[in-house]
Amino acid sequence: MELAKRSWRQFSSGPFARLVRHSIDRILAGGETAEPGELDLGIGTLLALLASPGVFVAVFLFDRYGSLLLFLRGKPAHFDPYRASIPDEYFFIVLAMVIAAFVAVWKWDRLIPDRRDYANLAHLPIGQTRFFAANLCALALLAGVFAVDVNAAPALVFPLVVCAQESFGVGVMFFWTHMAAVFLASAFGFLAVFAAIGALMAALPYRAFRASSAYIRCAIVFVLMTLLMTSFSVPQKLTPAGHLSKAWSALPPPAWFLGLCQMLRGEKDAAFESLSGAAVVGLAAAALISLATYSLCYGRFLRLGAQTPTSLPARRPARSSWAFRLLDGFLLRSPFQRACYRFALRTLFRGGEQAFALGAFLSLGAILAAQTVLSAPHKAAWEAAVSAPSADVLSVPLIFGYFATLGLWFALGIPAPLRANWVFRFHIDPRCGECPALARRIIFTFLGIALGTICLPLYEHYWGWRVAAIHTAVVALCCGLLAEGLLARFRKIPFTCAVPKFKSHGIVVALLLVLGYFGFTSVTATVESWALADPYWFIAFVPVVLGAAFAIYQAKKTQIEIERNILFEERSSSVVETLNLQG
Amino acid sequence: MIALEAKGLKKCYTAAPAVSDISFRLQAGDVLGCLGPNGAGKSTIVRMLTGLSKPTRGQVLSFGTDVHKDLVGYRRRLGYVPEEPELYPFLSGWEYLEMVGTLRGMERSQMEKKIDAMLALFSLESHRYAAIGSYSKGMRQRVLLIAALLHDPEILILDEPLSGLDVVSATIVKSLIKTLGERGKAIFYCSHVLEVVEKVCSQVMILRKGSVVAHAATADLHAMAGHGSLEHAFVRLVADRDAEQAASEIVEVMAVA
Repeated sequence: MELAKRSWRQFSSGPFARLVRHSIDRILAGGETAEPGELDLGIGTLLALLASPGVFVAVFLFDRYGSLLLFLRGKPAHFDPYRASIPDEYFFIVLAMVIAAFVAVWKWDRLIPDRRDYANLAHLPIGQTRFFAANLCALALLAGVFAVDVNAAPALVFPLVVCAQESFGVGVMFFWTHMAAVFLASAFGFLAVFAAIGALMAALPYRAFRASSAYIRCAIVFVLMTLLMTSFSVPQKLTPAGHLSKAWSALPPPAWFLGLCQMLRGEKDAAFESLSGAAVVGLAAAALISLATYSLCYGRFLRLGAQTPTSLPARRPARSSWAFRLLDGFLLRSPFQRACYRFALRTLFRGGEQAFALGAFLSLGAILAAQTVLSAPHKAAWEAAVSAPSADVLSVPLIFGYFATLGLWFALGIPAPLRANWVFRFHIDPRCGECPALARRIIFTFLGIALGTICLPLYEHYWGWRVAAIHTAVVALCCGLLAEGLLARFRKIPFTCAVPKFKSHGIVVALLLVLGYFGFTSVTATVESWALADPYWFIAFVPVVLGAAFAIYQAKKTQIEIERNILFEERSSSVVETLNLQG
Repeated sequence: MIALEAKGLKKCYTAAPAVSDISFRLQAGDVLGCLGPNGAGKSTIVRMLTGLSKPTRGQVLSFGTDVHKDLVGYRRRLGYVPEEPELYPFLSGWEYLEMVGTLRGMERSQMEKKIDAMLALFSLESHRYAAIGSYSKGMRQRVLLIAALLHDPEILILDEPLSGLDVVSATIVKSLIKTLGERGKAIFYCSHVLEVVEKVCSQVMILRKGSVVAHAATADLHAMAGHGSLEHAFVRLVADRDAEQAASEIVEVMAVA
């Protein structure tokens, strides 16, 4: 025992363990550009955030499987917990897979060693293989911790509530099969992203890989959102499994792990058998591809990323100045707006984190909009010209507009390298009060282009100018009010303000935005569809618009002078304030 | 006319002051070199002079007016090169300078011409559309120098402007500072490099632990140093311990098995 303790102490204080700890630190918090105030969460907050979806969903399971509620609703004579829980099992597998993959996408840039690593470590007498092994160990450890964190609460609660009426043996079997499925799904999610990164690292030149990283991340987030949305449709295809009509290859990866889970529970079924086979093959392939490509490219990336790159002469980019000049004439009135507008657009498209966040919101909007279209009862309305579109069809641009507005608002708050913001602190009068005007112009440009080039022509094509003009105006008005509401107390130059790790009112805002989504999309679209049939219904919009405008006006009016100054460092309000009463 | 004046500046971050009782006057054409070891308070003074932080006590005056009364007006007349070349890596050098010029309210066509000319003079012409992230430290420093000079300021505050520059660029910048001084610009120049300060500055201010220990014309400081070099005078004023003794102690510690 003493020997083991001594060996462990020796190992943990040795260079390899220190390298592993360093790798964990840099993946979690310390990338090349990370600095205090940027969007970097501490490990505690990160684990809490990742665990929360599983905990929330697990709590709601009592409603579905609680024995008293089942009794009151009339429990079926032959309640098969394995079959009855398939949709929830599928959801937990999707959740585990998506969260693990999302963490890998989020920390994408930190997975590869950067220039700072090279500067600090490469001159030390440590071989490249050791760097690689330490990074690999750190990643494996983190993947394990995240998998436990995301799945622990549901893994305990889910078997407990589903098998409350069953024997202990059934419960234990349910528990371990569920654990195996979600952990393997998490591992698959994490490794699949790695495999994608590795394949791209191997295929693309270094600069091209770095340049396209933000766009690839957006594409992966889009895929992950789509996977999450399959929780609503795929389980219906899997129950009962005997009627499974599609081949495993046509089903998304979470279904493979559901098949594996059911197989482990002893459900003998050809469909589950092929699905579980796919799970094993998929997991092995992801692991092999990621290991092979990562070991191939690690050295190259360490060397290339490391050497201070010498700037190569670049050609003048395609001139977009005519568009900016046009905007300068019509939209951007002051030097502040002109300079910051250009800076904001360039950051949005090249900054990385900002494009990633906007892409995530737009993806979510696109998927929800697509689902609404596909599930609309009047699908034919898109194909045949009828007098007025349904509420579902009308809600599509509203959904997209809601997420685009929110995404832009959120992305504008994500700081670009904060050390560089001195240029704004130095050149700009903090009392200029132009920040809301600037942010409004950025949001309205995006919305204006989307509405003018997609919404208006599309609705005109199907329902004519009257409906297209009215609907575009309604969407523009709603998005405008939403943007005004979000920007009522906005006082940051986009991308230049440090943000706190946790805002105490963040959860309330998130809940309000979820509730607001239904009001913004469903209610507005329903009232508009009535109004298109009977124009008197347009009167219903008047009090809502006036009420919203008044609330925004009041929020702006009650802002005191000092609160209008430009903010370069946002602090979370402390729960307890210490008063200095000593004078 | 006094372009820049510090009057009894004191700055406290904690109970102990970071700098105290800093006073100097800078007239048009003066080049004041600020010297001091690490932690002497040079950057704190620069932050107060640029208006990025307010002094706990004392005033910074520009042409007789407290700079905090009209910070925007003061900064219009000011060019500033910070110690660290922190720039947005995703912008190109040209885009960064365009942003600074626009923020300064420069007329567009004149600004574009000036940027192109400056980039060519600072040997950055072929890299002007490349992302700053790929620039070397010296290239970033040159971008900062251009940004500070673009609007032809009356006052220049330069914090280690030669940091990272190659010999040729450094020589050009040294000559540039001298010429700007001769053309009537008031320049506050912070540096660790004594020989540069000696060559380009008309006055030298030496700091030690937040206080001024010497402030004189460069020639007077030479006379003060007697037969020894300015370096010896500087070390005598600011060093806590004998340099040779410290060096031999380091070597002894290195040799410990």
